[in-house]
Amino acid sequence: MSDNDSQQSEPATDGSGPGIVAPDDEVPSWRERKERTTGLSRLTYEYFERARREDQDLRQESSYVERDVLGFPAWPHETIRNLAISSFFIGMLLFLAATMPPTLEDAANPAVTPEIILPDWYLYWSFGLLKLGPINPELSILGGDKIMSDELYGVLANAVVFGAIAIVPFLNKGSARRPVEQPFWAAIGVGGVMFAFTTSVVAVQNLAPIDPNITFDLAFLLPLVAATITYAVLKTMREGYMYDLNRRYYRLRPPR
Amino acid sequence: MSLERKDEYDHNAWLKERDLSVVEKTYLMTLIWFDRRFRLVDYLEILENMYYKINLQMPKSHTEQYNLDNKFWYWYPLYALGSFSVIAYLVAALTGALLGFYYAPSTAGTPPESYALLTTIMADQNFGFMLRSIHRWSAQVMTAAVFLHMLRVYFTGAYKEPREVNWIIGVILLALTVGFGYTGYLLPWNQLAFWAGQIGVEMALAVPLVGEWAAQMVFGGFSLGQPTLQRMYILHVFVLPFVVTALIALHIGIVWMQGIAEPH
Repeated sequence: MSDNDSQQSEPATDGSGPGIVAPDDEVPSWRERKERTTGLSRLTYEYFERARREDQDLRQESSYVERDVLGFPAWPHETIRNLAISSFFIGMLLFLAATMPPTLEDAANPAVTPEIILPDWYLYWSFGLLKLGPINPELSILGGDKIMSDELYGVLANAVVFGAIAIVPFLNKGSARRPVEQPFWAAIGVGGVMFAFTTSVVAVQNLAPIDPNITFDLAFLLPLVAATITYAVLKTMREGYMYDLNRRYYRLRPPR
Repeated sequence: MSLERKDEYDHNAWLKERDLSVVEKTYLMTLIWFDRRFRLVDYLEILENMYYKINLQMPKSHTEQYNLDNKFWYWYPLYALGSFSVIAYLVAALTGALLGFYYAPSTAGTPPESYALLTTIMADQNFGFMLRSIHRWSAQVMTAAVFLHMLRVYFTGAYKEPREVNWIIGVILLALTVGFGYTGYLLPWNQLAFWAGQIGVEMALAVPLVGEWAAQMVFGGFSLGQPTLQRMYILHVFVLPFVVTALIALHIGIVWMQGIAEPH
């Protein structure tokens, strides 16, 4: 503290002036300055240098084919294509809006509960998840009580669905892209889509002329069935697909 | 450094010897006048740079390199779903701004004022019915396009490394799109809106610890009323547009940086 004070009271005699110094030959280059750092910034610098070198090496090794012509031109080719697609799409929107205008229901009335309460169609699946009460487990150690309310169970189901979708890229690795190359993940996807549809049906069950118990069971059975069929079909297709690839391969490089 | 004028190019002599028409001469004089003041020539470099950024010397794409284009063209419409949701979003923004001129969130009176204003828009305003119809349909189509876009990305494995971050931004955008739809659904303050809001409040209250706080925050209380409508309105026309537009820009920016995951 006192040391600091005495430093401040003394006039600066080292020529540093007000703090901003014009760059001259003495000013270190970016690189020199970075090499002088320590700790995390030093680590960052070292990593970036490595990454840059890695990029350069990769570029030198690569046999990537570059075109000798410019790419698909933004003007007019790409622009006209985009304009055409956009106009078509906006036209489609206007057509829908003109032919199927929305209605305005009765004004809000807290005293009268309508017979059918439904959100917009894209939330049916979420609304269906709120009705999963029957599979909310009753724990015998709690004397048959449920560990959480049915409402909380439904809200958590929504969170679980979103979480599951979000972590997909961290579970499914590798370079496979086509469904035939990864029957398991395609089956998961088809099962998920099917589950979205069946939970939607659960949500609108008071509109469907089916026993609610049957819809509820089907909500879990149908996705499983769909996933299994997808898996079987894609697995079978993969045999043919790999056969085709192998045949092409051996035609190019016949075995000795 | 002196501010004395140095020799300048004699542009006027050059103009005389060129023997130009009046239009050309006026144009050049104006250009020179502005260039003297703003040194436009310095910005030519930026234009040139942009030209090369747009007309990139592209490497051959995967489909070109392996001549897959003939097999994959029929999948290409599925690759337009992302742009479709953006176009629908823009249409909804435009019509939404126009609708906003005639709408105000208020539950006062019978029927509630918002509801009465919607009746006015649909019955009395020129093109009001069509405007609401377009707004609603573009919202529906945007949601559908976003869901289908996600399915396309899933089934073509386009979310894989190095595109995980964009997938997560996409999931957030999906949730926000649905939130956009929900907050908009509540604005007419009709029976459907009221009871959908009721479900929302009950969902929030079911959550332990933070549930009551969330209900206060988002719905303005434990029962529906003027605060709920006001909050839904602000979320719909102020908060969500900024957040969603920024996230869409980020989403598309990352696609631009990383390139489109092509079929293979």
